[in-house]
Order: sequence, then structure tokens, then C-alpha cells
Amino acid sequence: MIWQQIANGIATGAVYALTTLGLTMVYGVLRVLHVAHAGVYALGAYVGLWAFRATGSFWLSLVAAMAACALAGLLIERFLYAPLLHLPRIIPLIASIGLFIAMEEAFRIVAGPYALAYDAEVRFGSLALGPLRLTGPQTLILTVTLVLLGLLWLLLSRSKVGLAMRATAMDAEITSSFGVNTRAIIALNFLIGSAMAGAAGALIGVYDNQVWPTMGSVPAYKCLAIVVLGGLGNIPGSVLASFLIGLAETLLIGIVAIPFPRDALAFVAMILVLMFRPYGLLGKG
Amino acid sequence: MTYGEFAAVRGVSFDVHDGDLVTIIGANGAGKSTILRSVMGLLRPRAGKILFRGEDITAEPGYLRARRGISLVPEGRRILPDLTVEENLRLGTYVLQDAGEVAAELERAYSLFPQLRARARQRGKTLSGGEQQMLAIARALVGRPRLLLLDEVSLGLMPTLVEQTFQTIKELYRQGATILLVEQNARMALSVATRGYVLETGTITLSGTAAELAADPKVKRAYLGG
Ligand SMILES: Nc1ncnc2c1ncn2[C@@H]1O[C@H](COP(=O)(O)OP(=O)(O)OP(=O)(O)O)[C@@H](O)[C@H]1O
Ligand SMILES: [Mg+2]
Repeated sequence: MIWQQIANGIATGAVYALTTLGLTMVYGVLRVLHVAHAGVYALGAYVGLWAFRATGSFWLSLVAAMAACALAGLLIERFLYAPLLHLPRIIPLIASIGLFIAMEEAFRIVAGPYALAYDAEVRFGSLALGPLRLTGPQTLILTVTLVLLGLLWLLLSRSKVGLAMRATAMDAEITSSFGVNTRAIIALNFLIGSAMAGAAGALIGVYDNQVWPTMGSVPAYKCLAIVVLGGLGNIPGSVLASFLIGLAETLLIGIVAIPFPRDALAFVAMILVLMFRPYGLLGKG
Repeated sequence: MTYGEFAAVRGVSFDVHDGDLVTIIGANGAGKSTILRSVMGLLRPRAGKILFRGEDITAEPGYLRARRGISLVPEGRRILPDLTVEENLRLGTYVLQDAGEVAAELERAYSLFPQLRARARQRGKTLSGGEQQMLAIARALVGRPRLLLLDEVSLGLMPTLVEQTFQTIKELYRQGATILLVEQNARMALSVATRGYVLETGTITLSGTAAELAADPKVKRAYLGG
């Protein structure tokens, strides 16, 4: 029972990690809370579903979701944030919330207000680590997440572009003086973060076997809590916080059975952590 | 040059010839850093032109100017705090294409500042102020710049290191680098420079060879302390 909850928690945490990464990366380079990112996540689920209906292949639908969301992220950077960045940060934030609401409405108009089934049969082996058993779908989520996180880590830590990405997040102006096209680097952050969110949307669509217009609402605010918890803009911190929240939610709610709304937990955790570590778990002062 | 509506520097015209070591001296707030930042392309002048090797680069963003060979040691060092010393240097080599060249430049930087070699894996923010200054200088050199912009490089360094840094600057100059140097320490600056300009509240009031400026009574009184 507890092991089953842990397995659920790992899968949930993996999806949070994929979704939150984009927020963290965007905050890292722009210092903007990219609320519309949750709309990109839902877009990933819809595109994945449509691609799955068209092709019958889960893997193709995953790739399609990532590609469509990468493109959406680039467009959002170019047409929503770039023109607003010289203004106080509250203005891009409000624009972002506006875009998120507009996206939810667009999904409702295009696909209808009800939940659609994303019943991709993915044959994926289940995984047993001692008493811990991950079901096929859970193993799929964890594997895709770990592969994407691993690729991102390799890019950031081993490549010249990754060095430029990290430097841009610390001081874009001085980084540009070394020949780095920091605008392109910012766009790349959107591209990668949005593709990750697209993967998360498609994976959760399959895992829950449903896709609906407001599926991004809860992730929208929960991921904000997670990025704050991990230390704003801190990538390892947001991954750690994602898994902690995923596990805490399933364990506390599933085992202790306290009458406590599951989705509030991330915020309680955020408040508690911020009281003792104002810059988040791995954030720096 | 303007910050908002405030004109920090206006009507300034100066040139740095290939292989020259030119200094701009001036009081705090005169606009020295503003000039260097606009040559680097971190600020856009509202009017006027910037030419580099005969080409108009006024509209070009900073990263393209870096690729042309302009490099800046900024005021306040601006070390990337969470990158290691080596990563900061690697960023300085971003414009180089060849991995062998990069390795050679890193090696040269480490032999110039052996203290940096010992701290290669340490994060930038953990260096002392003087070490950060060395890193900022080394980082600007490893990209093999054609024009090196130095903003108060001696600030925060102990006297022997100031001496050593100016030796390094002279050495670079002898090897053919073109250098534009801004200094609080006008005596030091005029001792290494070939030519100089005096900047007062955003305008150039005097120019000449370094020897002429050092002998000028006004300069002596205002910047050389007697
Ligand atoms: N971002 C800014 N916004 C408004 N004014 C600025 C800004 N940066 C500089 N200034 C002003 O422009 C003027 C020139 O500044 P600058 O930094 O170029 O001086 P400086 O000659 O380098 O001085 P110092 O020797 O103290 O470094 C100053 O009066 C300064 O207050
Ligand atoms: Mg200055």
C-alpha cells in the first residue's frame, strides 16, 4: 500500500518536474513568472491526443506534442514577452495570465468543454525495485522524464551552448559582451522548457486517459509554488521540489488520510520552507 | 549618450588607432564607463557614430561587436558568480572556434595569473575581490581581442598587483593589442598610455600625448594631485 503510494508519488513528481522546468528556465533568464506555461502544458496534451488519433502511435504523438509546444514557446517569447520586457515585471505577468485564460478558452472552443480520452496503449515494462513496483505507465513517465532531464543536464553542463545558457541566466548583459547572442539563448530556454511541458502534458493525458480544457489550472499555480520552493530559477532545486511535492501529496493524503485538499499541500510546504529558507530549498541568498 | 532623458556624455569624439594605448581620464561621474559601455555595444548612443576598423558598428548589438574583436573588462568585474573560474574563462573564449586555441588561451591566462589556476574549479563568487579582478582581466584577454576596453582594472588590487597588471597591459600593447584604458589612477594611466583624453562632465576638454597631458598644469592639479 505504502509502496504503491510511493510509486504514484514518483510518477506525479516526474510530471511536476517536466512541467516546472520551463517555468524555472524562463524565470532564470527573464525574471518573469510565466503563468501561460500551464497553457502550453495543456496544449501538449491536446496536440498529443490529436497526433495520436491521426497516427495511432504514442511515440509520434509525444514528439508532436513536444514540437508544437516548442513552437508555441518561441512564439510566446517573441510576441508576448519580448515587447513587454522593458516594462515593470507586473505587466508581462498580467499578460501571461491573460494568455493562459485565452488558451483555456481556445481549447474549450476548439475541442469542446468535456474531457477527451487519450487512450494510447503504450507497451512499457513495469519496474520492480525491491518492494517498489512501478506500473507500465508509471515506468514510462519516469523513463521519459529521466531521459529528458539527463539530456538537459548534459546540454547545460557539457556544451558551449549550455555554458552560454547558464551565464545568460546570471548576467545577460555581460554574457553578451563575450559574443553570446543572448536573445537567441532566451528563445532557446523557451523552446526547451516548452517542449518539456508538452511532454508532460502528453504523458499525463495518457496516464489519466483524459484531456480537458482547464487541465492546466491546477498545475499553473502548483508549479508556481514548486519553483518558489526549489529556489526561483534554480533547475536542480525545482526538480527536487517537484519530486518532494509529488511524494508528499500521495503519501500524506493516501496514507494518513487526513481530510486535507491535496492540491493545497504544495502551498503549505512552500510557506513552511520559506519561513526557514527564504530563497527556497536550493536557492541562494 | 543618454540614460533616459539624462545626457551623461555628449558631443564626445575620440579615436584609438590600431596598436595604440589610449587613456581617458576624468573625475567620478564624468562618463568614462558610459563611453566604454557604448563602444562595447551595451548602450546605444542616441546620436553619433561608432566606427571600428573603418566600419560603422553603431547599430550592431554587443555580441556581434565581441565577434569583431572588441572586449571589455567592465567596471565592477561582473564575474559570473555561479560559474567556476574556468567556466568564466571559457565564456571569454566563446568567440574562438578552435578547441586547441581555447586550450592555449586558457593556459596563457593561467600562466599570467597562477592564482587563477589554483582556483580553476572554484565558483567565481568565492574568489577574493582582487582575484575576481584578475579573472575579469584574464577573461577579456582569452578571446584574443583586437580592441581591449579596460574600466578601472586596478581598482581593489594591492600595489604589487597594480604594478603587475600595468606591466601586463604594457606587454599586451607591445604585442600589438589596441587598448582603451579608463583609470582613477591617472598617474599610472598616463605612464603607460601613448595618448589621452580628459573627460569632464560628459565632454572632452583636453587631448594630447600622454606626456603632454602629464605635464599640463590643469591635469596636474586635478588628477595627479599637485
Ligand atoms: N543607468 C544609469 N541611469 C542614469 N544615470 C546613469 C546611469 N549610469 C550612469 N549614470 C550617470 O551617468 C554619469 C556618468 O556615469 P559613468 O558611470 O559613465 O561615470 P564614470 O566616469 O565611469 O565614473 P566613475 O569614475 O565613478 O566610475 C553619472 O553622472 C552617472 O550618475
Ligand atoms: Mg566608471
